[in-house]
Amino acid sequence: MSRDLSWRNFDFLLLGAIVLAASFGVAMIRSAVAGNDQLTPLVSRQIYFAIGGIVAIFIVAAIDYRYWLALYRPIYIVMMILLFALFLSATAVFGSARWFQVGVLFIQPTEFAKIVVILILARYFDSTQNQPRNIPWLVRAFLWVFFLAIWILLQPNLSNVIVILVIFFAMLWINGLDLRQLLIIVVSVLVLAFIAFPFLQPYQQDRVRNFIIPQSNVSYGATYNVEQALIAIGSGGLFGKGYGHGTQTQLRFLKVRHTDFIFSAAAEEFGLIGAVLVILVEIFIVWRCIRAAQKARDVSGAMIAYGVAILLFFQGMANIAVNLKLIPVSGLPLPFISYGGSGLASLMLGVGLVESVVMRHKPLEF
Amino acid sequence: MSSPSKPRSSNFAPWRLTIVYLVGLLILALLLGQLLSLQILGGKDWAARAVDNYTKQISLPAARGIVYDRNGYVLARNIASYNLVITPAALPDDEADIERIYRDVSAITGVPVGGPVTTDSLNNAKEFGPCVPGPAIADLVALGDSLAPYTPVEIKCDISEQVARLVGERATDWPGVSVEIQPIRDYPTGSLTADVLGFLGPIPALLVDKYTARNFVPSRDKIGYAGAEESLQDVLAGQNGTRVVQVDVAGQELSNLQPPVAAVPGYNVTLTIDTRLQAAAQAALLSEINYWNTWFARIRISSGVVIAMNPKTGEILAMVSYPTYENNRMERFIPAYYYNQLSQDPRHPLLNNTIQSEYPPGSTFKLSAATGALNEGVVTPDKVIYAPGTLSLCEQFTPNEPCGPSNSRPFVDWITDVRPEGFGQIDFMHCIAFSSDVCFYKVGGGYQNEIPGTGLGIYRLDEYARALGYGQASGVELPGEANGLIPSPQWKRITQGENWSTGDTYIATVGQGYVLATPLQVLMSGATIADNGKLVQPTIVKQITNGDGKVQTVWFNPNDFTLWVPHQTTDSTGTVHQSWLDLTDNITANQLPAGSYQVSPFVPNQKWDITTDPKINTYDGCGGSCGSPTGVYKTVSPLTVKEVQEGMRLVVTDPQGTLHSIFMGDNPLPIAVAGKTGSAEYCDDVALAENRCQFGQWPVHGWTIAYAPYDDPEIIIGAFMYNGGEGAVVAAPVVEKVMRAYFELKSIDLTQTGGG
Repeated sequence: MSRDLSWRNFDFLLLGAIVLAASFGVAMIRSAVAGNDQLTPLVSRQIYFAIGGIVAIFIVAAIDYRYWLALYRPIYIVMMILLFALFLSATAVFGSARWFQVGVLFIQPTEFAKIVVILILARYFDSTQNQPRNIPWLVRAFLWVFFLAIWILLQPNLSNVIVILVIFFAMLWINGLDLRQLLIIVVSVLVLAFIAFPFLQPYQQDRVRNFIIPQSNVSYGATYNVEQALIAIGSGGLFGKGYGHGTQTQLRFLKVRHTDFIFSAAAEEFGLIGAVLVILVEIFIVWRCIRAAQKARDVSGAMIAYGVAILLFFQGMANIAVNLKLIPVSGLPLPFISYGGSGLASLMLGVGLVESVVMRHKPLEF
Repeated sequence: MSSPSKPRSSNFAPWRLTIVYLVGLLILALLLGQLLSLQILGGKDWAARAVDNYTKQISLPAARGIVYDRNGYVLARNIASYNLVITPAALPDDEADIERIYRDVSAITGVPVGGPVTTDSLNNAKEFGPCVPGPAIADLVALGDSLAPYTPVEIKCDISEQVARLVGERATDWPGVSVEIQPIRDYPTGSLTADVLGFLGPIPALLVDKYTARNFVPSRDKIGYAGAEESLQDVLAGQNGTRVVQVDVAGQELSNLQPPVAAVPGYNVTLTIDTRLQAAAQAALLSEINYWNTWFARIRISSGVVIAMNPKTGEILAMVSYPTYENNRMERFIPAYYYNQLSQDPRHPLLNNTIQSEYPPGSTFKLSAATGALNEGVVTPDKVIYAPGTLSLCEQFTPNEPCGPSNSRPFVDWITDVRPEGFGQIDFMHCIAFSSDVCFYKVGGGYQNEIPGTGLGIYRLDEYARALGYGQASGVELPGEANGLIPSPQWKRITQGENWSTGDTYIATVGQGYVLATPLQVLMSGATIADNGKLVQPTIVKQITNGDGKVQTVWFNPNDFTLWVPHQTTDSTGTVHQSWLDLTDNITANQLPAGSYQVSPFVPNQKWDITTDPKINTYDGCGGSCGSPTGVYKTVSPLTVKEVQEGMRLVVTDPQGTLHSIFMGDNPLPIAVAGKTGSAEYCDDVALAENRCQFGQWPVHGWTIAYAPYDDPEIIIGAFMYNGGEGAVVAAPVVEKVMRAYFELKSIDLTQTGGG
């Protein structure tokens, strides 16, 4: 334990916001799975994960984040092995392999991989902070990310690869990515996207195609879920239909309403006011992470906090954008609210790291 | 340069962070904008779609009305048919239990258990419509489960009542298995009344919109396809009820969203048909046809018709058209092989020949000519006319065409085969009694000095024929009625491209050539004479009652087959307005359409009385027999009608009368009968194919109409035999048998009701 550890600096507002979001999530999951006997146990499981996650926040906060950075090699290798093993042995569920079953738990290493990417990049940018921002600097950073992301891409799980790439790109940008390099990246990503499209899984191609050109058979085609989400959100109006009274949610027209489309369920039952409050809580959490980044005493601390902020913001907004039919269906959960043990636990770990950063922020200069 | 303890260098340029924040804010703004547009701007539309999602309208079928005959005997009813169904969502969870239920159901229905369910077996099952045998139970249930788990899947249709009871008893052992009751139309009298009643069939694609708008369910509800089932569809059908329920995504009904609207059963209809007389008429017709076909050792008489009607009220007591069909075979669906067999039969069993087929009326048409000739003073009843066996007449296509050997044609009397010298000198009353063709040629077209000028002439013949009911559909409540044809010179010029000739007039006078009539029209002409010149509306409807037995007021418009009921509306000031509701198109009108008549409660509807209603147009040339219509109408004198009646009576009473031997021969009918026979030479596609459309070779239809009692008629019967030959020989026995049956039934009824 570090000498200058001070629980006075622990960000209780951040913790409060997370407790609030997780509690709301549990309440929404309860409403969403009502009447479905198979899904009812999910409510208590989510509660256990949330409590476990909060405990984890305190434990991780108590440990100096630099210990983790020092252990970056074993962490990186273990993560890579886990992802590789998943790629080899996992069972196919919903068109892709994403789980390790450990007892009754389904563990998704990908969720933790996103935190590992943030740690690895934070260490990298810290160690290279005085190097010139040239191509080798860029390529080395990319390779660190690549050997984790490739196994995720092969699962295949494009959404989380995109999340990782966004984190990677945003952190590059903050660390002084050259504008010309930026241009090269943008062009190569676009070219890559066109080349890669035929290699996507058929269901992913359908999602993209359905998004760009909506199919005529709306109600029962691939766009059914999104269409039902729009009906749920739109019919919520200003004040919503009331908790447990959303017809789209309660009568199960809304699909995967406890995970991907939980925002729609909330918007239906609590209306525009509820939806905006959900967004505000998410933004508040992101803002507290940015605040931690600004207070961080070193580059690695700042980068961890920025990384977690970007992860939370992008994943949250992408989920909501899917619900609002602004982007194709991605399968990304709404942070702290959607059901999902691994997702919740990994984000709690991320927040624990942020707390660890903010508790050890730089001394005030007088 | 920065020291390690001061890491914030140019790497963390504030402008870079600002751009990141700006991008974040932009995304946030996009999301909030979309949220606003969905929830506030489009909220109403989306809310409507949410309501649409969980709202299900369930149509409650209305029971179709029952059809009775005039004595309360059931002619059409609804009986239960049982379907064994499985509701996928109600099956037990355990696979072994489901398997056991499938095996038990398979044992009693014979439908294979099937399984394991594969994509191929499902695709195969998709090819079959409901109730079509083929797919296995496991596939049917899997298919239903994937579409709507709470909707019962038909496993086996039309199971016996015994099996249905068994399923009911084992309800606790077989969760999910149940019996669905489907009403089907049953006709206890079957083919006996098929031509009057018709049958039901699915709503055709062309009418789906119309019937859907009136709450019919096209896949379930049926409509009448022929007969009374078609013409009275709108009173028989009733109104489907509706339940609006909330359903979840699987289709499970959760609650009523609106108070349910109960179905209103269709009205019950009592027809004027007397099934006993109908049976007697059919038996008489069939035995006569079979007798002659056996006699000739070939199918000579291919079709025939009998109609019995009350001439004073227009009630049709029997209406038989042979050949017919078995309408019970259409009860569940219309079998294609059977329908094709019927529609390709050259004898047209699907047609009701009493009203849907047109034939030359032959000598029965002489009633029109006689009425005209007597009323116009062309002849007097005691005018003696020379009627040789053959008469050479001049065929003029223009009035001034000179007569010579070139345009002289022989016209033959029907008696010539037996008595070449003909009837000789006879008075006009005996012309009617003997049905002398030569006599009527002279009267119809004029003959030298005997019948001066052009005789009655085609124009006036037309007027009198129409006054007796020819040339227009009768307006009876049955679909597809033919108009018949009363030719005129104009008609011939337009359709045949040839001038009207004097020969055409001669032929038309005896009801041949271009003249066509339905058997019902022939019967109506006799009924008009029998009822002293009153033409009543023929009808098959006695009364229409609601489910409680209360007689409903219903009017029928024969022009467009709409049915009208009185309708009361109250306006804002509280004034009650009486109007009429069209059951067919669901519109209201202040006035009934012209031509409508009341069908329930029963009243005799007199179309007109030729002795009081001026129906005969007069002409301005040739002493009234040609020229242009003047528009001045006149009536028929009651004396004329009386004289025609006497002529028809003479047909029976005179020893040489064509109906004498049948009614006053060895086994005389103790009731005074009057009538008229007819033998109509014809040429149609069948005769043409047999090369019989030539002089002396013509095939002949047989006709007879007769009514009784002579002084106060209560029954008129008409019989028609296609290619039967002499009407007095082939058709008269049928009429006689039906008439005997009528009076026998009457005496039975009088005995049973205590002589009342």
